[in-house]
Amino acid sequence: MTDRLKGRVAIVTGAGRGIGRGEALALASEGAKVVVNDLGGATDGSGGSRSPADDVVAEIKKMGSEAVSNYDSVSTWKGGENVVKTAVDAFGRLDILVNNAGIIRDRMVYNMTEEEWDTVIKVHLYGHFYLIRHACGVFRRQRYGRIINTSSVAGLGRSIGQANYAAAKEGIVGLTRMVARDMGRLGVTCNAIRPNAGTRLSLSDEVKEAWTRAGMGQAISHMEQLRPEDVGPLVVWLASDEAANVNGRVFQIQTGKISLYSEPVEEETITTSGPWLVDDIFARLPPLTRHLANPPEPGRKAATV
Amino acid sequence: MQPRLAGKVALVTGSGQGIGEAIALELARQGCKVVTNSRRPGSRGGDADTTARRIVDLHGEAIAHYGDVSDFQVAGGMVQAAVDTFGRLDILVNNAGIVRDRLILNMTEEDWDVVIKVHLYGHFNLIRHACNVFRRQRYGRIINTSSIAGLGMTIGQANYAAAKEGIIGLTRMVARDMGRLGVTCNAIRPNASTRLTLTDELRAAWTKSGMEAAIKQLEGLKPEDIAPLVVWLASDEAANVNGRTFHVQTGRISLYSEPVEEKTGTKEGPWTTDDVFTLLPGITADLVNITDRKQKKGTL
Repeated sequence: MTDRLKGRVAIVTGAGRGIGRGEALALASEGAKVVVNDLGGATDGSGGSRSPADDVVAEIKKMGSEAVSNYDSVSTWKGGENVVKTAVDAFGRLDILVNNAGIIRDRMVYNMTEEEWDTVIKVHLYGHFYLIRHACGVFRRQRYGRIINTSSVAGLGRSIGQANYAAAKEGIVGLTRMVARDMGRLGVTCNAIRPNAGTRLSLSDEVKEAWTRAGMGQAISHMEQLRPEDVGPLVVWLASDEAANVNGRVFQIQTGKISLYSEPVEEETITTSGPWLVDDIFARLPPLTRHLANPPEPGRKAATV
Repeated sequence: MQPRLAGKVALVTGSGQGIGEAIALELARQGCKVVTNSRRPGSRGGDADTTARRIVDLHGEAIAHYGDVSDFQVAGGMVQAAVDTFGRLDILVNNAGIVRDRLILNMTEEDWDVVIKVHLYGHFNLIRHACNVFRRQRYGRIINTSSIAGLGMTIGQANYAAAKEGIIGLTRMVARDMGRLGVTCNAIRPNASTRLTLTDELRAAWTKSGMEAAIKQLEGLKPEDIAPLVVWLASDEAANVNGRTFHVQTGRISLYSEPVEEKTGTKEGPWTTDDVFTLLPGITADLVNITDRKQKKGTL
């Protein structure tokens, strides 16, 4: 155990299992005191049990660090408020917020129900907002804070049947950029990661079954090698003072590889001095877009639907 | 000039005024039958009926359909109105939107919720219902409305930025889900002076801080200049364009790059924290805190 984050107080949502657990342990091993939040639900958000959060708290205490459990749902204003309050009540401050809690409800867009859409947006996008909103009140008083949000390559269109998840995850990228703008002057940074790891969300029994049926056994063993524990070290770095110049950016992270994403830029441009005419556009857009292909390149990741 | 979209049926949300009205009118000029939409009748500056009447004056066909896009059932009713009236639906332009600017520190639950509901839920609700029709037809065109706010170019718009970048993720995934079925789904980040972007408050704030030039510049960006790109995206010529995003304003149109992994570090075996602290400074050394970047606008 080293002490890069000694005296810091961190919240990790959805920290009972998988990536969140790895992040909580990595932060604790650097000396941070941790609020381990987990509703203890199933991957679709149903149910609830206290044991996953308590198990991680016990692990952290065994390492000689401090931690407390919290079981609130991040998908309500009140729940987000309570998670932040738990940190301040237990440890007197809050320095690091890791928004990780998430669920999936995959379905092709033409069959997606209102409820599948709503539940996923609420947990991910509203969940991120509620925690950020309440944490920022504390960060502003302290003139210090670190926010690490969780997006996904799904937001880049790398899967199928995840309109809800992709919208939530790219919404989180927009939120990240704007919070970085709003809070940067107050000593707060806000960044996002697109992690790739074999967890009960990404490598569910359904995915395994579907991939096995499709003869994609290799993809399964590849995914199994991407360990959730490998996400934590990047989060520690983003939460440290060394990353003070990194604000509003997005990283890819998986076992063996870390990348900084480019931000979208206007890569090809046409201009005119007068108003746009439809005939102009029909003449000038084809050269700009000739290299594009539909449907977009299939990604490696097949969905279950 | 021959119409580019003869016989097509289009639905444009939020088309009572501004960018949406201009899109509805241009689609009609290009031969589309149009369902116009606004949340309720009687808005200052125009509603679904005034736009529909202007289309009829152009010898086009249009019906007005009032309703709130953030309601799933109501959105279904809009799609149904197109099918009931014109027998099909070919083009969906998601344009309806609102703003509720406030710094994240002070943003209320309601500020957040209404903006996400109108933009992000609104887009999904229309897409979800339209895709049922598109799937049967094996044809459809979806044009969504994002914003440069999603790229962090403004301040005090956490709700709007989240919604607008969520729309980008939705666009990419709908492109994937529907591409094989003859449907394309793209997004625009328009920049124009409308009652949303050039509000009385903004005018007052900019005037107070001596930014008359900025007001003038924004006034020069016409809502009418967004529509021609939308016509092209809705045409068969853009069949290879799917899941992409365009910037559009008077005088300038750009294709946006998609995010790519621009700097990468690799390692055999698991990451340790020491590894990451050694690797990351090299990857991020030239980054500038977003706060120090030039700010585009902001009343707050």
